[in-house]
Amino acid sequence: MVFLIQQTLLFAVPLMIVALAGVCAERSGVINLALEGIMIFGAFIGVLFIRIMQDLNLFDKEEGQILLLLTLLVSAVFGGLFSLLLAFSAINLKADQTIGGTALNMLAPAVVLFFIVLIAQQNTLGMSKGSAAGWFMIRPSTFGLPKDYSWGFLGDLILNKVYLSTYICILVFIAVSVILYKTRFGLRLRACGENPQAADSLGINVYKMRYAGVILSGVLAGLGGFNYALTTAGCSATGAVAGYGFLALAVMIFGNWTPLNIAAGGLLFGLFKCIAATYSTLDINGDGVYMLAEIGISPYIYRMLPYVITLVVLAFTSKKSRVPKAEGIPYDKGQR
Amino acid sequence: MLRIDPDTGRQKWFRSEGAKSVLSAVISILIGMAVGTLIIIAVGLTKEGISTKGIGEGIRLVFLGVFSTGRSGGTLTFGYNPVNLGNMLFRATPLIMTGLSVAVAFKTGLFNIGAAGQYLMGTMGTLTVGLVLGNAGCPVFIAWIAAFLAGMLLGALWGAIPGVFKAYLNINEVITCIMTNWIAANLVTWWFDSHEIFKNAAEGGKIGYIIPLKNVGVVTPKLGMNLLFPGSQANGGFWIACILAVAMFIMLTRTTFGYELRACGSNRHAARYAGINDKRNIILSMMISGALAAAGAALYYLSGNTEFFWSTYQSLPAEGFNGIPVALLASNNPVAVIFTGVFMSMLNVAGTQLKSLTAYNEYISDIIIAVIVYLSAFSMLIKQVLNGREKKKGGNK
Amino acid sequence: MTSEYVIEMNHIRKEFPGIVANDDITLQLKKGEIHALLGENGAGKSTLMSVLFGLYQPEAGTIKKDGVEVKINNPNDATALGIGMVHQHFKLIDVFTVLDNIILGAETTTKLGFLKKKEARKKVIALSEKYGLKVDVDAKVEDITVGMQQRVEILKMLYRENDILIFDEPTAVLTPQEIDELMEIMKGFAKEGKSILFITHKLNEIMAVSDRVTVLRKGKCIGTVNTKDTNKQELSNMMVGRPVQLEIQKEPAKPGDVVLHVENLKVPSKIHKNDAVKGISFDVRQGEIVCIAGIDGNGQTELIHGLTGLEKTSAGKISLCGKDISNASIRKRSQAGMSHIPEDRHKHGLVLDYTLEQNMVLQSYMQPRFQKHGFIRFDEVRKYADQLIDDYDVRSGQGAVTVARSMSGGNQQKAIIARELDRDEPLIVAVQPTRGLDVGAIEHIHKQLIAERDKGKAILLVSLELDEVMGLSDRILVLYEGKIVGELDPKNTTVQELGLYMSGAKRQGEEAASC
Repeated sequence: MVFLIQQTLLFAVPLMIVALAGVCAERSGVINLALEGIMIFGAFIGVLFIRIMQDLNLFDKEEGQILLLLTLLVSAVFGGLFSLLLAFSAINLKADQTIGGTALNMLAPAVVLFFIVLIAQQNTLGMSKGSAAGWFMIRPSTFGLPKDYSWGFLGDLILNKVYLSTYICILVFIAVSVILYKTRFGLRLRACGENPQAADSLGINVYKMRYAGVILSGVLAGLGGFNYALTTAGCSATGAVAGYGFLALAVMIFGNWTPLNIAAGGLLFGLFKCIAATYSTLDINGDGVYMLAEIGISPYIYRMLPYVITLVVLAFTSKKSRVPKAEGIPYDKGQR
Repeated sequence: MLRIDPDTGRQKWFRSEGAKSVLSAVISILIGMAVGTLIIIAVGLTKEGISTKGIGEGIRLVFLGVFSTGRSGGTLTFGYNPVNLGNMLFRATPLIMTGLSVAVAFKTGLFNIGAAGQYLMGTMGTLTVGLVLGNAGCPVFIAWIAAFLAGMLLGALWGAIPGVFKAYLNINEVITCIMTNWIAANLVTWWFDSHEIFKNAAEGGKIGYIIPLKNVGVVTPKLGMNLLFPGSQANGGFWIACILAVAMFIMLTRTTFGYELRACGSNRHAARYAGINDKRNIILSMMISGALAAAGAALYYLSGNTEFFWSTYQSLPAEGFNGIPVALLASNNPVAVIFTGVFMSMLNVAGTQLKSLTAYNEYISDIIIAVIVYLSAFSMLIKQVLNGREKKKGGNK
Repeated sequence: MTSEYVIEMNHIRKEFPGIVANDDITLQLKKGEIHALLGENGAGKSTLMSVLFGLYQPEAGTIKKDGVEVKINNPNDATALGIGMVHQHFKLIDVFTVLDNIILGAETTTKLGFLKKKEARKKVIALSEKYGLKVDVDAKVEDITVGMQQRVEILKMLYRENDILIFDEPTAVLTPQEIDELMEIMKGFAKEGKSILFITHKLNEIMAVSDRVTVLRKGKCIGTVNTKDTNKQELSNMMVGRPVQLEIQKEPAKPGDVVLHVENLKVPSKIHKNDAVKGISFDVRQGEIVCIAGIDGNGQTELIHGLTGLEKTSAGKISLCGKDISNASIRKRSQAGMSHIPEDRHKHGLVLDYTLEQNMVLQSYMQPRFQKHGFIRFDEVRKYADQLIDDYDVRSGQGAVTVARSMSGGNQQKAIIARELDRDEPLIVAVQPTRGLDVGAIEHIHKQLIAERDKGKAILLVSLELDEVMGLSDRILVLYEGKIVGELDPKNTTVQELGLYMSGAKRQGEEAASC
């Protein structure tokens, strides 16, 4: 049970934070189809940063948590930088945002793989030494406690065999949600995605707000990308995140562009993803029987499920969905 | 507003329209190549083990990869290389088809990013029917046609899903296309995983691959390609792709059906107002689009000696996404797609040459392609501005 | 040195590609006056106000505030100078609350950037009470009436403590009674010392409320006059540049057989769960113009969509020339004898990326005349388009091959009218056919509609312009909240009475509500 909940969280958190990344951009009026690409880029930068730090011997295993914090910061910053490409084409050049996003989704894996192959002579970039679990996972020994120490059910759930980055992401998720709804910045950002002409007439700089939205989106997606690479890919970069960025877009749509619904949707999909990934070793009620594996359904069906469910949920929620009105429409000061 | 002399204006307008498309495509390509060159230089200068000579070789291969004839005496040689050129056309075939798929959808206002899934479904249909009929001793001609049509049918079906979602529920086709891509990847893997008869167990080292169609004799005829490009994989499939491209051009520009499709794409509300069944047209357009993408897969695997790695659930075929730059570079003109498809294929050949002959790798050509897509996103816009077709008139309101 | 004028705009020139929107315009606003800016659609009024509000930068000319030259680069500068504006198309965010809309751009926050909504709320409520501008601060803008939306716009200016107030065509969406109310509010502002610029093309309102009038025509300033020294005819001549007939000339109608018969029609709303058209019945006969009048948003759009098939009806029967078309497709209805001049020419009327000739056959491309075995007969299409362009005087840069997007609004509308009238169907549904056009084009279209009527066509007209409703129609049906609340004869009624029906204050078949 603890395992199931933790695993679900591992899958759900990157989804949530990247879906919120989508919200930040779309609420400002820019469709960010490039989430997948930004995640790929953020994951690569994060792993690369860890490798460099390890090669330079600046950190050792005991300082893993500090290195992790720094890495999160770096991948967030580079995610933001990468998203500038989208912002420039969508805002300054008023290009088609879908095509711009697609270009970044093609550019990220190409660039990343080009360098991964140059650096590692293979298609996967891992850590220089040690493993993700060894360096970054929180467990009793992190606090100097014996290996088999237990904090009880709740304590184990929260503290044992988890990654700090998961909690950082949850905190960031809450903080960004509050910013979007409770601050002047958030109010203005949302205005730009609904009616930029109105915002402009009230002296709000639509271009600036949209830049802010896209960059914030890139920061969150970069963060989510590295978090994905760390927790589900054992801290390695392969130039792919298995459609996670797109899944996050779907979560954003049926989350109706609001944080609370996105959190719920992210958890739901985390659960399905988790089942797909671990069904063969999943022992739900702890009786030593791997129920799902024994039913004999092909693993590909489980893997398909998140996508099928997305389609079904979209079909049912589409009528109620409330797209930011000005999303995808370039804003031109000369036209009103 | 661009005012053109009404006497001569008409001709001039048409001519400049085409000229601008070509011009903006060429500009995009040149900038893309320049970026690729810059990366090669930058990497060459910073990475140990690449000499100035290595940098020069890399650049030459990016531009002239298809004419590479290998390396002799330590230097690269260039010349007429029928194998490279033929393979370029062979690999262009699926790109032309997925490019057509994307272009036709674009013309009707839809962004078909689901070509990859449709391509996979086409692969499944063609290989399955081809192998079954081939094994059953069905005449090659009939088996070929049946396999080709089966692929297209599955592709059409796969295209119809985002079409239905768009038409009836108004869900953005981009998101449904992406979902159907991954569903297809799992579905195809599942299908081949659970049917041992299609797996290539006879040949050693081919575990994980499906039996190539040449083993059962269902193969596209060469149609003269073996004379032009001896030793290459090129076959009649390229001609079939060209014929389909011309057919799409005629359909879109000359028929009432094309008139309806483009009206829906340009202004769905006005099309509805005029009594055009917009829902039907959106679904049809996605089905045609899907069938075209799948036909690309069919032609690729019907060449006979191409082998399909069936455990594809974690990755999508690049041909599906590379149809997007092919279509964009061609300004969605079906005939121009033939040329841009060949160009993209040329870049890919250059990529493989880079990998085998230098310290660089094939991903440089992917970078160039991505840069071209990025540029084409606003090259269309620049063209519009040149035409004076502002989106809204900045008039007096 | 203090100036007599709070705002002076001297020799303003503003160009757009291909057009000079403002050419050497001078406008002077005195403190505490209501100054009307009169001109036709396209005369340059809105452009001039956008320059004053900092939305556009002029190519030439200066702006002075209290005699001191100022530079207004954006709306923030304008606000800092105390200039506020109610735009013709409201600048509101539909999904925000009234309060959020009012504070947007002028928020007070804590040091960390968090909104202080409680304070703002108090201030808004106080303002609303002081000026009698009733609003529900917590309602979402999409849920409130157009009238209340306008009050929100006014409160936005007051919240920013502006004392130069610009009203851009503020009465277009209001009933006659609401207009009177607005006039009173404007007078109140003027009395308090606020200066008001009032943009309009309606002469009655100018005579009723303004102190002085500046008239613009085709981007040029024609002159400024004192309202008490002029009259409607003079102003109208100044505005159009030639004597204008204020009345529409037509013979009495000779109604024939019933062409369109509507019975208990209900059409669902897109916004609400309830029906937008709540069971209405009426007939339209040969040789008469029946007008659906009402304030925007009372079900006119849904009614027309239900009639033409753009929207599914939820109940009721429609028959056209004796044929039941209640559930027929759009194309079937159109072929059964219905022409449709749509409300929104850009959304429905034209495929803007198509050429003019392609748009001319939008309703008829599938006829054997224009196609053979599914292939379009381009030569026939060209011939037909050229003929329509000639017959209906549609002007465009490159004739039949002009891209529709590049044509002027008036000619786009002419093209649609040419296409629809030339189909020669017994019923013509015309929705706001003259919206946004200049007087010449309006006159032309009115004449064409009357000519069609006299040929025996049945015409169903939807209009928001009261002058058009009164002048053009032979019968008026007033739509209020999805129901027909009155059937009036334009010869025996007044604008005021029509207004009472439109606002729901009066309805036939019941005692008139208190008013």
